[in-house]
Amino acid sequence: MPKSMKEQDSIPTSKTQRSAKFVKTGFKVGGNYIKHYSKKLFNPALNKDELNLDNATDIYNSLSELKGSALKVAQMLSMDKNILPKAYVDQFSMSLYNAPPLSGPLIVKTFTRYFGKTPFQIFDEFNIRSTNAASIGQVHQASLEGKKLAIKIQYPGVGDSISSDLKMVKPFAFRLLGMSQKELEVYMSEVEERLLEETDYDLEIKRSIEFSEACKNIPNLIFPTYFPDLSSKRIITMGWLDGLHMKEFMKTNPSQAICNQVGQVLWDFYNFQQHELRAVHADPHPGNFLITQDGKLGVIDFGCIKEMPADFYEPFFSMTSTNILQDKTKTIKTFRQLEMIRKDDTPAQVEFFYQVYKEMIELFAQPYMSQTFDFSKKGYFDNLYNYGERIARMPEFKQARGVKHFIYVNRTNFGLYNMLHDLGAIVRTDTWKPHIHTPQ
Amino acid sequence: MAKKMTLISAEELQNAYVDYVLTHGTKPKSVYVFAKANNLTEEEFYNYFASFEGIEQSIWTDLCQKALTGVESQEVWSQYSSREKALAFFYAFIELLKSKRSFVLYSLKHSGMMIGTPSAITGVKNIVEAFAAGIINQGIESGELANRRFFTSKYKDALWIQFGFILNFWAKDNSVGFDKTDEAIERGINVTFDLFEKSALDSLFDYGKFMMNNGGMKQNMKF
Repeated sequence: MPKSMKEQDSIPTSKTQRSAKFVKTGFKVGGNYIKHYSKKLFNPALNKDELNLDNATDIYNSLSELKGSALKVAQMLSMDKNILPKAYVDQFSMSLYNAPPLSGPLIVKTFTRYFGKTPFQIFDEFNIRSTNAASIGQVHQASLEGKKLAIKIQYPGVGDSISSDLKMVKPFAFRLLGMSQKELEVYMSEVEERLLEETDYDLEIKRSIEFSEACKNIPNLIFPTYFPDLSSKRIITMGWLDGLHMKEFMKTNPSQAICNQVGQVLWDFYNFQQHELRAVHADPHPGNFLITQDGKLGVIDFGCIKEMPADFYEPFFSMTSTNILQDKTKTIKTFRQLEMIRKDDTPAQVEFFYQVYKEMIELFAQPYMSQTFDFSKKGYFDNLYNYGERIARMPEFKQARGVKHFIYVNRTNFGLYNMLHDLGAIVRTDTWKPHIHTPQ
Repeated sequence: MAKKMTLISAEELQNAYVDYVLTHGTKPKSVYVFAKANNLTEEEFYNYFASFEGIEQSIWTDLCQKALTGVESQEVWSQYSSREKALAFFYAFIELLKSKRSFVLYSLKHSGMMIGTPSAITGVKNIVEAFAAGIINQGIESGELANRRFFTSKYKDALWIQFGFILNFWAKDNSVGFDKTDEAIERGINVTFDLFEKSALDSLFDYGKFMMNNGGMKQNMKF
């Protein structure tokens, strides 16, 4: 397909690489469909069970590959079996990167449907070839009254395919992993909810405007201007930001001072949201950020927001910013609140999980413990990885543990730590501190 | 009621016919009945159409022609590749069909979906095939599509099959705003054009031919 190849060229390398492992799964799943339908030609009575099982097996295989690499860090808090939902998140948000570009006529049609006009009638200039892929759509350049704009257009049917794929794979994946569906249902629905929110561009533009307003005082942080009048359920129009994605930015050999500055913005941005807004941009992967030449950070995607209810926020951050961990009784009480230790655990189990989770929280909280933290230190991340590896092998972690909020809060914080590590930044970690109203 | 003084147009006749079949759920018993119900003479009907089949066909061909004229007049049309032209036509055609969905469903149902082409859309077939032949030729000239002996002349048939498939899909589509049909068009046309394009299979075939012709060399190779 020479044409689609050409259009795919414009996707940033990082995304191409990240999705590479899913291409294989995609082929396999496609192959399963072909197999199914060719069998069905000869045997019309054939039902889809076999097809679903084939698909689930292939998807599961790619999930387990992931387990080895990309998910190491997330494994920590996600306690092995919670990995599955996390893998779903990545599987579905990333496999969509492989979606072929929308054709020109479909773009024209999408515009006509929502605005009654073609993009050429709305904008002074509109580039019908997309310049970048977004997680569930593609980005086009346009200009209006001398302003350069970025137009994000969603692939059709994304929402439907998320729900149906999740539904299709769920029971089989659980069977393959040998665990109960009921147990994981609560995590799965959390993931599905977030994923579906991502497909709602009306919601995204509302949040983008709210968050960019709320965060506007953070130094060196920039947001594109949003144009709600030129946006709809499938289209978001925003100002164009010039900048580089992190990977390309690092290739320009930026000075330590600039890296620190960018790292500081990242830290401030995330901790301001977590502790002041109690709702956080929960998709800290490098594709959602642009770095300008003078070290400013542009945030370009508010698709995934995780709100943190007080009954999660208070106990969780009380562990990082009070001295609870010194007091075993209080620590266990907090672990119980967060369902990391369960009601029916035996005293031996309580002791075991107390030790393991205490170690984990201490690791997680290290950056909070001092005024500044050097994220370039390899040792700290080695400890994180090793801990994750160890946890993954422990038979005690066969069950899922912890409240559902952990999935996205972990993804956010470890994603943040990872980006800071990639930047090699030294940041002040005392800028936005957790507010704990009821120290226990 | 006095007979209308103004001469009735073909379009008015079509509308009257659509109204009749949708209200009665069946086509009129005879041209006489239909003409009488609309205060016309049979002659006025026969001025434009030879039969009810003829009027149904004309409604279809008019829709199809309108879709074509619509997309061809778009500024961006000349920049489109053959693939995009096909897509644009299908989107426009399905969009137009929405305005006459009840009639389209009626017509498809009552002209009998047999193997082959429902009688009502035989006229459309000619238009679509002519259009398909045009964009395919253009694609072959520009190098976008592969010119394959024996097969090139079948490309337009493949597009006609897609047309039938998409029409059927749309007729059964329950999704909001017929979103699913958009997906069916996007995927279906892309797959069809992917097959038209030069692919690994062409290279493989070419390579096979080369090896056949130069097969003698194999005996000289030691491995």
